Amino acid sequence: MRVLVVEDEADLADAIARGLRREGYAVDVAYDGDAALDKIAVNAYDVVCLDLNLPGTDGMEVCRRVRAAGGPEPGPRVLMLTARDRTDDRVAGLDEGADDYLVKPFEFDELKARVRALLRRDAGRSGALLRVGDLQLDAARHQARRDGRPLALTPKEFALLRYFMSRPGQVLSQEDLLEHVWDEHADPFTNTVRVTVMTLRRKLADVGEGQPIETVVGRGYRLREEL
Amino acid sequence: MRSPASPIGRLPEWTRSIRVRYTLLYSAVLFGLAALVVVTLYVILSMTLAGEPVTSAGRGLFCNRFTNACIRVAVVNAQQIEQLVNTETLDKLRDFSLKALGMMFVASLAIGWVIAGRVLAPIERITSVARDIQATDLSRRIELGGPEDELRRLADTFDAMLARLDAAFATQRQFLADASHELRNPLAIIRTNLDVAMADPDADPEDLRQALVVVRRASDRMGHLVDDLLALARGQAPTVQFEPVDLGAVVADASDDLVLQAEGREIVLDRTIVPGVVVSGEPDALKRAVANLLENAVRYSPPGSRVRLAVGSERGRAWVAVSDEGPGIPPEDQPRVFDRFWRADKARSRAEGGTGLGLAIVRQIANAHGGEVQLQSRVGVGSTFTMWLPVAAVEGSSRSRVRSGRSASAELHAPADGGAPSAEGSASEESPTVELGPAAEPERGPAPADGAAPEEATAAEDPRAAPPGDR
Repeated sequence: MRVLVVEDEADLADAIARGLRREGYAVDVAYDGDAALDKIAVNAYDVVCLDLNLPGTDGMEVCRRVRAAGGPEPGPRVLMLTARDRTDDRVAGLDEGADDYLVKPFEFDELKARVRALLRRDAGRSGALLRVGDLQLDAARHQARRDGRPLALTPKEFALLRYFMSRPGQVLSQEDLLEHVWDEHADPFTNTVRVTVMTLRRKLADVGEGQPIETVVGRGYRLREEL
Repeated sequence: MRSPASPIGRLPEWTRSIRVRYTLLYSAVLFGLAALVVVTLYVILSMTLAGEPVTSAGRGLFCNRFTNACIRVAVVNAQQIEQLVNTETLDKLRDFSLKALGMMFVASLAIGWVIAGRVLAPIERITSVARDIQATDLSRRIELGGPEDELRRLADTFDAMLARLDAAFATQRQFLADASHELRNPLAIIRTNLDVAMADPDADPEDLRQALVVVRRASDRMGHLVDDLLALARGQAPTVQFEPVDLGAVVADASDDLVLQAEGREIVLDRTIVPGVVVSGEPDALKRAVANLLENAVRYSPPGSRVRLAVGSERGRAWVAVSDEGPGIPPEDQPRVFDRFWRADKARSRAEGGTGLGLAIVRQIANAHGGEVQLQSRVGVGSTFTMWLPVAAVEGSSRSRVRSGRSASAELHAPADGGAPSAEGSASEESPTVELGPAAEPERGPAPADGAAPEEATAAEDPRAAPPGDR
């Protein structure tokens, strides 16, 4: 799951990015509206945490352009972060196409919960708990199980498994995975995706019968809904 | 209840209404006048028509010539008959007058009541609207129509007052919203950094130290902000007692604190400080204003550039001018630079520790001292801020007392190459020609931001235009 943090207060943006990375998200940071628009144009983000009060293009305008861009893919979910707390401001923000609104200062736990909630909307699921076949993933507690047995996953493997589980049955190419699970610092020419998928599959195979992640030759990988 | 000493307080409750009192007064005056007219008429008439009872002058026989019947009649004086008629007329007049007066009294009460009601109706309306208006909703107006009379003027005055109050409350609300907005950002930084650091069970000491540094930085920013907000709030409070202040000493004092900061940025601080310019004011506030102007100049100056600071007076007004060779402020932004929380370059200002309140404080301090701040700026050339203050009424004793204190340090820090005062008093008149000329020359283009009188602007732009002798 890839997140863009747009915030002109570098100290705040970096802290949010650090906290979200620890949750297993691939996080990029933009310190002004124009940089944010550039990154949104290039990368496929699942969630954008957007400050309203930005130098250059302001947050409302960024939100408007993200929504206007449209395209075949659903655009990123927008979580507005702002110190403006009047009802008018919230209404204006939501009307401009924000999916959620969080007033500064916020509890970081709340931010995490809201990001999770926004990601669930995409997956069309109702809880923090994802279930596919005999796999279980609790995004809030950062735990993954197969057949009730816990899986010891690195944050990247966890993020990868979560992305698979939010799109069961879909064929996901290496580029999809790189875009949504890795941040912009990942080198697209290494085989980091292949290696991480491999270790994840080994860990899954260690605790259960059969391999839920199958290779679709020439196209990518798929998480089987039923084994 | 009213104090018993007040005569109104002793009157019964129902007389407290102006309508009742007006009606009674109207009725009483009308009745009194009418009664006076009637009585006067009656007295005058009764004096001219003296009425005496008819007395019999004798008796006589009145005989009918045709029937030869005779009757005895009383013989009276014809004049007395006339008098009898007069007396009866007077009695009738009195009776009618009394009745008419009585009826008129009743009628005048009714008419007075109605008229008083009509006259007082707008006041009733003003009262009810004023009662309905809460402090939180000052958008309502009385909007009394009708002719331009006294009550209309009263209602219009109320409306104008409400508009002013409304504007003042709106400004206050906006200020609070801005202040809370500005305080929330550092608060969010602190909270998020702490949350993230605490949630990480195996954070290494370096991460934790980094989080602490960030928190420290954010709390410093909040501290500055709170200081500036307090300074603004204090400026709105009634001013303390003003005292004679040597502006040169205050400016020297303020710039001493900035010297290190300027050196750190390789900025040359050029000071032309003339002692003997005495204004009436609050030294700490004036020092803060000058320090804010200087901080601003240093903050926006490129390294290696020059910040000029000069003090002087002309035509009964003292001035402090700070000019920089920074990026300048475009004309469309010039009216906004004195607004609270307005920043030319948000990210940069914040990185330098600016709160966005500095120039608002300068303007407030200048206004509180009966002065003003002007800005002349041209993009790519630089900006000059000039604070004008009225010169204090010169009292020999206080002036020498003030001057003795800090002027030594002022002279000590004045640049050696120029602007050293040649003679006190007269030097202050000439000082603008000494130093500010070159600094102000490039800014001659745009008009002063706050719409100051043109001749003042000219004076600040190029004092050399006027020879020192002719003022």
